[in-house]
Amino acid sequence: MKISESGLIGKSVPRTDVIDKVTGCAVFVDDIQFGPSLLHSRLVRSPYPHALIKRISTKKAEELPGVRAVVTGKDLTARLGLYLIDRPIFASDRVRYYGEPVAGVVANTEDIAVEAAKLVKIDYEVLPAIYDPVESTQPDAPLLHPDLGSYTVANFIFPEPGTNISEHFKIRKGDVESSWSNCAALAEGRFSLPPIEHVPLETHTSIALSEKSGQMTLWASSQSPFAMRDMIAQCLGIPHNKLRVIAPLVGGGFGGKAGVTMEACAVVMAQAVEGRPVKLRLTREEEFVGTSVRQSLVSEIKVGCDKDGNLLAMELTYYFGGGAYNDYGVNIARAAGYSCTGPYDVPNVKADSLCVYTNHPVGSAMRGFGMPEIHWGLEQIMDQLAENIGMDPAEFRLKNCVRTDDEIVTGMKMTPIDLEACIDKVSKAIDWEKKEQPTAPNKKRGKGIAIMWKAPAMPPNPGSAAVVRFNEDATVNVEVGGQELGQGSFTIAAQIAAETLGVPYNSVTVSSPLDTKYSPYEWQTVASRLTWSMGNAVKAAAEDARTQILETVADHWGEEVDDLTIKDGLVISFKSEREQPLDKMVIYGLPNEDFEGWKGGPVIGRGHFMPTYVTNLDPETGQGTRAVVHYTVGAQAVDLEVDLETGQLEVLNIASAYDVGRAINPDLIMTQIEGGAVHGMSSAFEALKFNESGEVLNPSFVDYRIANIADIPRKIHGDYVETPIGDGPWGARGVGEHVMVQTAPAIANALYDAVGIRFSDLPLSADKIYLALERKNETG
Amino acid sequence: MLARPGLPDFEYIRAETPQDVFRLLGEKGDKIKLLMGGTDLFIQMRDRSEGAEILLDVKYLPGMQEINFNKKKGLTVGAAVTLNQLSIHPDVKTHYGILSQSADTVGNYQLRNRATLGGNLCNASPSADLAPAALVYEGTVCLTGPDGNRELGVDEFMIGPGKTALKAGEFLTGLHFSIPPPDAVGQYLKLGRSKKGDLAIVGVAVLGYSDSEVPSGFRFRIGLNSTAPTPYRVPQAEELLAQNQITEEILNQAADEAMKVSAPIEDVRATALYQKKMVRNLTFKSLKEVWDLLKKS
Amino acid sequence: MAIHAISLIVNGTKEQVQVPSNMTLIHTLREKLGYTGTKNGCEAGECGACTVLVDGEPVNSCLVLAVEMDSKEITTIEGLADSGQLTPLQEAFAELNAVQCGYCTPGMLMAATALLSRNPYPSEGDIVEALVGNLCRCTGYQRIIDAVQKASRNGGAR
Ligand SMILES: Cc1cc2nc3c(=O)[nH]c(=O)nc-3n(C[C@H](O)[C@H](O)[C@H](O)COP(=O)(O)OP(=O)(O)OC[C@H]3O[C@@H](n4cnc5c(N)ncnc54)[C@H](O)[C@@H]3O)c2cc1C
Ligand code: FES
Ligand code: FES
Repeated sequence: MKISESGLIGKSVPRTDVIDKVTGCAVFVDDIQFGPSLLHSRLVRSPYPHALIKRISTKKAEELPGVRAVVTGKDLTARLGLYLIDRPIFASDRVRYYGEPVAGVVANTEDIAVEAAKLVKIDYEVLPAIYDPVESTQPDAPLLHPDLGSYTVANFIFPEPGTNISEHFKIRKGDVESSWSNCAALAEGRFSLPPIEHVPLETHTSIALSEKSGQMTLWASSQSPFAMRDMIAQCLGIPHNKLRVIAPLVGGGFGGKAGVTMEACAVVMAQAVEGRPVKLRLTREEEFVGTSVRQSLVSEIKVGCDKDGNLLAMELTYYFGGGAYNDYGVNIARAAGYSCTGPYDVPNVKADSLCVYTNHPVGSAMRGFGMPEIHWGLEQIMDQLAENIGMDPAEFRLKNCVRTDDEIVTGMKMTPIDLEACIDKVSKAIDWEKKEQPTAPNKKRGKGIAIMWKAPAMPPNPGSAAVVRFNEDATVNVEVGGQELGQGSFTIAAQIAAETLGVPYNSVTVSSPLDTKYSPYEWQTVASRLTWSMGNAVKAAAEDARTQILETVADHWGEEVDDLTIKDGLVISFKSEREQPLDKMVIYGLPNEDFEGWKGGPVIGRGHFMPTYVTNLDPETGQGTRAVVHYTVGAQAVDLEVDLETGQLEVLNIASAYDVGRAINPDLIMTQIEGGAVHGMSSAFEALKFNESGEVLNPSFVDYRIANIADIPRKIHGDYVETPIGDGPWGARGVGEHVMVQTAPAIANALYDAVGIRFSDLPLSADKIYLALERKNETG
Repeated sequence: MLARPGLPDFEYIRAETPQDVFRLLGEKGDKIKLLMGGTDLFIQMRDRSEGAEILLDVKYLPGMQEINFNKKKGLTVGAAVTLNQLSIHPDVKTHYGILSQSADTVGNYQLRNRATLGGNLCNASPSADLAPAALVYEGTVCLTGPDGNRELGVDEFMIGPGKTALKAGEFLTGLHFSIPPPDAVGQYLKLGRSKKGDLAIVGVAVLGYSDSEVPSGFRFRIGLNSTAPTPYRVPQAEELLAQNQITEEILNQAADEAMKVSAPIEDVRATALYQKKMVRNLTFKSLKEVWDLLKKS
Repeated sequence: MAIHAISLIVNGTKEQVQVPSNMTLIHTLREKLGYTGTKNGCEAGECGACTVLVDGEPVNSCLVLAVEMDSKEITTIEGLADSGQLTPLQEAFAELNAVQCGYCTPGMLMAATALLSRNPYPSEGDIVEALVGNLCRCTGYQRIIDAVQKASRNGGAR
């Protein structure tokens, strides 16, 4: 571990938010008190996955005493979206998933709102629904968005109007067809995974207040207050300066609180009851049914290598089941497209990555953004190919994994990474070569390995801004627009500011809640981009403030700025060895030597960062100079055993290693790695389940099981490698999502090692494993 | 269609005497719901968004929270004894270990501070975790009503999913268990989707003891849950084990009998086929482990 | 719907409050008395975020009626630290970064506090058993187990 000169970069300083969080002082949206003016609301949701709305009658609901307003989508024609503007706030003519909001009820109490919601009468004409993304691409599939051709769309997204295909990303590189005959071994497979939920412990909650002046304020549990403001403002025609989004701490996001979920519903309801704040809080059941999901995926993969195990060609088709609205999902299919090969060096690639409308909940960002989905198949097919050519899976990966400066699938030159070191680290940690004995006679044990890559998936030019403000006593407020979701972004911001300014870490406070009225701009807290992008902005802002201070002092002393520095809150001169404390001077400046007048003034540093070097990709070949800013890579290895009597799988050990560029706060990286390993493990067993009529069957913690404390591996090993990148603060890049990308396929590979059966469809329920074991025993 | 936030409307009344209960039940009947821990009741009220005129809290009635043990008469447990109280009670641990062990498998510690033994049985869920133990200890339920008290076997009490043999106006006051055979040993095995904290996909309680009256010299009682409309015993298997010398083969046959008798439905938790197979495997495993214990003693 | 006047002791302070019959303890604490440290994650007894102590024992405050709490002593997360002095458990959670988003943390701490009062030296198994009803989506739990063990060495619940 390297520690910077002043000791803050590379040091595991305590989290800025931890005392608030262990004492119950941390404020989340639901905790804000509004007093008696607060009104409550409930949404009326569709009981069908696909239907035409024939008639909505709100009269009975409106007549219920205590009801303030009932709103529908009748007069709301505009749609919401980030990349493809396709989603209504309230469905008005057609519903496309079970649980879609159709109306909203505002009342004096939640109890009244519940009763009123029951009184909203909606007549539907049920339409045939479609759930399978492959079937949905067929010509005879029911069409979900007949108006697709008229939707506004980002210039790098390519929908196919007249079909259910909302995005089609293509890679055509080299010559795949003629390569197959040169292959000494091939592997082919079809893999699938169901929609899963983010399951933050805090459900989506928002409060909206519309004032007579035209000012709209929205308190929301949001990863992206600025993107939220932008989307809602555009949709409802509110000037950005009149829409203020306030986002306190977030009780878990994982992508589910990026963009807009139900917050626009709260805004529309608030418009109907001017002057009174309206709260919309989702129940846990609604969180499962009515918020965005990680999309389903069906992937078809064919891959071949030469006799020495060098990858030659790869052919891929990804069908992302994007759900009812693909306003965000299209960019997941795109990200999956430009990273379609996984972290491998493959000269010939043909890939089609599709996002497809289905009558499932809205697909959206979830930790990994397309990468866990595609790695599920990729990392198993690589094991199959290694087996077919007679190589050890770890050795096969070491041979074929992507390296710095390789030309990768999009034609871009690979940014600096060391994936081999990650593979070595996890192999060692798990004792890869060693065959372990099961802990009981009725069990079988196995090991598996999987590697990954992921680039921040975002538009080419998302920006970050930061402000560093000094107070009279030389303490510092850092203002950012990036959110604290538990990943530690505020701590990193404080560390970077303190290091750059030369002030003690504990003199820095990061301002919360985020507030679009006061906080500097941040595109979104997604894509593991904050340490990197917001980090750069904070560093720039701190440098700006530092320069202001040094110029004032240099002027005051008649010295050169280059001879001065700030250390422990003191400006010092290398030349004259003079010292100047920061307190007071950072606000009041310094008097001239002759006491005739003053220099300086309140110090406010500002900084921003925006990547300016990402290029477009050719729509037919997916080739371009620089598809993304950079990649983070990593490896995981799993040791597990299976109970042959029940099919239950127990993960004994997960070892992870990621190349983080530079570890700004090593312990925070470890917390991501550990939490991610368990999240990744849990995801292998999770599924949102639907019956034939599209109804969600498991909208509770009882039946949608996430890992509890008894489920975790006996050992969770974490490690990292530091290969700095050029455009990150001290070389750092993100690692928040990567930590769960390849856990599920690592488990599947270990399961194969243990019992010799390939499971190509998630979830890995004990039920499924047991019955497959029995079938295998019967057929011998 | 989805659970509502918070609880629907009702009036809360705390019953001080059984007569309060009889009177109110007589006057308002089905507009009243009886309350003990509420851990089933509240969930159902939220799910169905259905209130009640009155929630009548019966857990503070005399005796409802008491545990009494007597070496001759056996164990009496008030209906409102919480699962944590049941689980740590020394006499329960010593003489009715499977009850204590089953109690510990329910949900989680916080829940068990509220959830009661009586509520578990009155709720009559097919997956009630205390039911298999109550069945193999051949417990009786003590019911009281305006016409007096009566007792019923636990096996006669739960008659269908959510249905009990309680008559209008009656309620459960407690359970009684006579002294188990002196060398009885047993255990409850529960299979959930998670190691802990889940409902049972299959739960099986086995109690074994020696009995010189039967050819095998041993008797086993097998109680299962979650795989039929009510928790159930498997007399066919029990008979097999009484009549034949105990071998692995016989244990296997008994487990097969249990599988045959089971009647699980396909649900969101597991396929019917898997549930059946698990009835067999868990019954076998449990019989074998209990048999090993018996042989030792 | 009838309103009941109850009095309870929250974190050592006597509170008098009017509650409707169907109001659960969590809503009373959060909305009537302003103890918003207690979190609502499911209202169904499944996540443990709402865990508080009633007469020293942990319960899911979402499954307890407020009217039943008349004259009970309630301890919430706000009642752990004494005039700025964190309990060893709070300290251990902070030091070991057993906290990320922090939404599960109050419930975790209350359940763990109760564990250490009834069992000052819990094994790893005891900790798992006591915290099965407290879900956390962020941390992966290992640090929570470590923090409880550390606190147990450093003086337990108090
Ligand atoms: C998160 C969670 C997890 C759970 N996990 C499990 C589990 O693993 N295993 C399991 O078996 N159960 C589980 N349960 C269900 C429940 O906790 C148990 O069934 C519990 O024992 C019920 O007891 P109670 O006192 O809370 O019942 P209550 O909810 O008070 O009552 C249950 C039913 O009985 C009626 N009733 C109450 N008292 C009487 C009486 N004296 N006479 C007649 N009728 C009466 C009520 O009206 C109601 O219909 C779980 C519940 C939750 C919320
Ligand atoms: S909110 Fe009470 S257990 Fe989840
Ligand atoms: S820290 Fe986020 S849920 Fe536990």
